[in-house]
Amino acid sequence: MANVLDLRRRIRSVKNTRQITKAMKMVAAAKLRRSQERAFAARPYARMIASVLASLVRRIDIYDPDTGEAKHPLLESRPEKRVTVVMVTGDKGFAGAFNANVLKATHRFIDERTDVDVDLEIVGRKGIGVLRRSYAPASLAGDGRFAQGPQPRNRGARVEITGEHAGMLDNLTFEKAADLAHILVERYASQETDAVYLVFNEFQSVISQRIVVERILPIVEVGKPDIAGAVELEREQREEIARAAQSAGVSLKAEDTRQADEEASKFGTAQVDYIYEQPPSELMGALLPRYIATQLFHAMLESVAAEHAARMTAMDAATNNASDMIDAYTLTMNRLRQAAITKEIIEIVSGAAAI
Amino acid sequence: MAENNSIRVRLVTPEKIFIDGTADSVSLPSASGYLEVLYAHAPLLAELGPGEVTMRGGDVGDRQLFVAQGFVEVLPDRVTILAESALPPGEINVPEARQQLERGQKMWNDAGDEARLYDEANRVIREAEERIAAAERAGKSG
Repeated sequence: MANVLDLRRRIRSVKNTRQITKAMKMVAAAKLRRSQERAFAARPYARMIASVLASLVRRIDIYDPDTGEAKHPLLESRPEKRVTVVMVTGDKGFAGAFNANVLKATHRFIDERTDVDVDLEIVGRKGIGVLRRSYAPASLAGDGRFAQGPQPRNRGARVEITGEHAGMLDNLTFEKAADLAHILVERYASQETDAVYLVFNEFQSVISQRIVVERILPIVEVGKPDIAGAVELEREQREEIARAAQSAGVSLKAEDTRQADEEASKFGTAQVDYIYEQPPSELMGALLPRYIATQLFHAMLESVAAEHAARMTAMDAATNNASDMIDAYTLTMNRLRQAAITKEIIEIVSGAAAI
Repeated sequence: MAENNSIRVRLVTPEKIFIDGTADSVSLPSASGYLEVLYAHAPLLAELGPGEVTMRGGDVGDRQLFVAQGFVEVLPDRVTILAESALPPGEINVPEARQQLERGQKMWNDAGDEARLYDEANRVIREAEERIAAAERAGKSG
């Protein structure tokens, strides 16, 4: 059985751990606040792009009246034989089930579509590390690119990794998201892939989060997310996050952006006849890829905020666990000490009685 | 007051709302040339080219910002500019712009027969040239 000295050492070590997890929690909370602000600040632009695009789509014929074909390749739906999945995970661990949840959603997506070829674009070191174990990278064609065009490329397996984007999320800029969007748009336009899905952790506010599988290409309806599947937080998890946020001083409510949102969604939709500086179809051609980039950027910003929230919650739980452990050990230690004292007294008393 | 002659200007980037205020006039680079917007301009929707947005008067003061890639909506009483990037001309990174120019020229040389690649290369070159020109103008006046 452990003696008092051992227990004292143990308590000291757990106290050190608690200090570290507490510090990590506060750091995560600070980062969460910052990333939350960033995600909210980015909303007006996303809304405006969506609304101007929606208004353009209403005004001009996006389908050719004669052939019935879509005038822009990104609006055209095809039967899904080859799809691309963009999965957004984090670069670091210690975030509870954050990365595991996104991975689970991705695995389910892949398992549900057994007759579809899947290309994976992975954002975040954690996702890369895990998926690399199950799937091989796609082989490149001679010119350093994947086979272009509608011809299916030579596949080693049904599911292959076509891109890994580590370290994209810290210091995330719009250009980085736009670069990835550019690749995806190219692939879709050249019919290399028939649909692009985005798997990420959506973050409306600290207590309103969910894992979402969203189809971003083809564009079916502008401004309305095409959700293929979503996993909401369970009540228990929500309460846990709320507790952690409260103790770290992070507000639970989403900022009230309704007014700003409303104003932003008026962009380009006034009931007047606009003069189009460029032909509307040209405007739309420039807008569509940017709309995709905005969606990606936004998903990443939200995922970053969600990751910090998850880390904050995990570290809060760890801190609480450490406190519980310290209490339990202290109790045992005091009991042991008391037992030793009592034993000594008995010895003294019985010794005195014997004289 | 001059209030009825001023227009509301908003410049929004993917990161945040950059400018939200009023101005007497705004000149902007559309993809097909500069335009000057005053109060009661006809409604207009245009793609933004690389160049400088110049605002005069109003509560935003005289300001100049270099923008590249975006859209602008003009209504009689307001202008909304969506730009992928916006920064004061004095802060333009000239060496980087020169690199971009070289990259664009290389793209142009490698484009082969594809018109699309030429367009892309031309766009990169134009943006880089505008960037360098704007930085030089800022350098002279400052």
